Amino acid sequence: FDEAFAVLGYNVKSSDMAEVAEKIQQLDEAMGSFEREGLSQLLASDAVHYNPSDLCSWLESMISGLNPLSGFESSPDPFLDSSTASVNSCPPRIDLDFGSDLISIPGEAIYPRPPAKRARYPVSVEPPPAAARSLLVDSQENGIRLVHTLVACAEAIQQEDAELAEALVKNIGFLAASQAGAMRKVAAYFAEALARRIYGLRPPAAAAAAGDSGFTDDALQMNFYEACPYLKFAHFTANQAILEAFAGKSRVHVIDFTMKQGMQWPALLHALALRPGGPPAVRLTGVRYSSRDGSAEIGWRLARLAEDVEVEFKYEEITVADSIAELDSSMLDVREGEAVAVNSVFELHRLLSRPGSIDGVLKLVRELKPEILTVVEQEANHGGNIFLDRFNEALHYYSTLFDSLESGAAAAAAADGSATDEDRLMTEVYLGRQICDIVACEGADRVERHETLAQWRARFGSRGFTPVRLGSNVYKQAILLLGLFAGGDGYRVEENDGCLMLGWHTRPLIATSAWK
Amino acid sequence: GGRKKIKVGETEMSREAELVLFDENLLYEVFRRLEDGSSLARTACVCRRWNKTANDERIWELICTRRCPHAPTQLRSVVSALGGFRQLYSSHLWPLLKKPPSPPPPPSPSSSAPPSSFSWRSLPPPPPPGPSTNKTKARWGEDEVNLSLSLLTINYFKNISCKNRS
Repeated sequence: FDEAFAVLGYNVKSSDMAEVAEKIQQLDEAMGSFEREGLSQLLASDAVHYNPSDLCSWLESMISGLNPLSGFESSPDPFLDSSTASVNSCPPRIDLDFGSDLISIPGEAIYPRPPAKRARYPVSVEPPPAAARSLLVDSQENGIRLVHTLVACAEAIQQEDAELAEALVKNIGFLAASQAGAMRKVAAYFAEALARRIYGLRPPAAAAAAGDSGFTDDALQMNFYEACPYLKFAHFTANQAILEAFAGKSRVHVIDFTMKQGMQWPALLHALALRPGGPPAVRLTGVRYSSRDGSAEIGWRLARLAEDVEVEFKYEEITVADSIAELDSSMLDVREGEAVAVNSVFELHRLLSRPGSIDGVLKLVRELKPEILTVVEQEANHGGNIFLDRFNEALHYYSTLFDSLESGAAAAAAADGSATDEDRLMTEVYLGRQICDIVACEGADRVERHETLAQWRARFGSRGFTPVRLGSNVYKQAILLLGLFAGGDGYRVEENDGCLMLGWHTRPLIATSAWK
Repeated sequence: GGRKKIKVGETEMSREAELVLFDENLLYEVFRRLEDGSSLARTACVCRRWNKTANDERIWELICTRRCPHAPTQLRSVVSALGGFRQLYSSHLWPLLKKPPSPPPPPSPSSSAPPSSFSWRSLPPPPPPGPSTNKTKARWGEDEVNLSLSLLTINYFKNISCKNRS
């Protein structure tokens, strides 16, 4: 490497110097012409960071990103080509290679809009003349096109252009095949969901899909539990809040709206067992949903555990068909002198699909006069009525989630050793179901109406609940827990005004909050 | 017995040394002063006699609780019921201790970054993880022990199967 440049932090081979100089000139020209086209504002709004120290390839990438357009004409491009559309308002034509319809992507789909929610991507233009035109070689370009197509399809649906939507959705599968890893999977699930929406094929109800007991909601959630830290984080943070709320109480009653396979409660039992001064008498009432959960022997196993750690314990199970709204106070055995905690993990948002349900449930909870209500929810706004907004938000959210799964997989053996490939695979199915619901369903069927912490705060606040701040102990446990997960550097715990959020890099994905 | 001298390698071992090395109680006294689990685990690999002594639950209890000034009296019975201190250390505490603490989170940019599956040429790769270390963290304490206890309990619960139903 040339020494003079190396001192400045650039790696350039002396032999490449002439080429570098030529490229700098090319880049200069390209930037000049780009500016003339009036798209410099685009550059400014989309900050893309390149590492300039490898000067040669940095220049290459700069040039290919900025190569001047071939004027305003829309020249027909074979679909399989690695080039793509002009950035201007004139729509390009993209051929499907199998001789079917010509598809035009409306110019808007390519021109990114200001809202920050949209995934950001460099605008792709004609390839540099030097590059060989090859079939699907540049998967990055196809990745960009994949995103464009997904969003364009959603826009077509929003504008009720069924024909266009249909044509686009066919493209997506093809494009997705050229991708790898998280990107491909996310695209595939979204494509399926879009197709279902377009063709009016509602997803099978969870129960129908659960012909094999491995596919019930609670079984899939077990896989999710093992494959990534989100659910463990939820349990640990909620438990710590409950433990603190139960300080000094000698009889306690936990009402769990999301019993599933009971994985949250062993840790609480142990913590109560080791409480200074000894454990309280514990009653646990778990709610399970016959339409979604398989049968599982939880009660006697928890009782066995409680016996082994010497905690006085009683378990009761309530089964409702599908929604916590079916619960009424007569079903709950509430006793005098007991401190009550109510717990809900990823369940309350389902109530938003039927008007009035959430209010009914919160009223019920208030009447129980709990010491604490712990709530864990997805940190996203997937409940809106405008399809396109929901779609974009979900695309961003689930891409991030799948990314985090992918790096867990890439880091091979998890430190805690129990996640398997099956876990990861089933987790994708679990998440895929949510995607399907958000994109393909409407009305009462659409239950994955996730809302952000801010939205929940407003709701709880207006129904007479006061926030309970999660203490620093909770935060500490969360950080330690994450250290156990291979590929764990990407996870971030964030404290948000007394609540805790777990996210991947800069995107918070779930939030734990506590109320009274 | 007589004043037999035995040869160990090139040196002759005196009766005094023999006494220490082959006396369980004295071995125990030595081992229980070991500061960390990995050293103790290594001593258990030396020979059968050492293995027996090094696997004494009381020593592993010391390893786990030495840094817990507030360990409740019920701890021993609870942990024994759930599998014991050696199990606690090897399955749950050790994995917590061997990784260096996660790097502090980077300052968040003013707007959300794209998910990395869309950000090919953008952000530089995350900094490589710190040098892998076989040593334990220098400072750990009750928090790590508490978390490992929770994990021990969860594992125990998972393993309660129909076979054990009484």
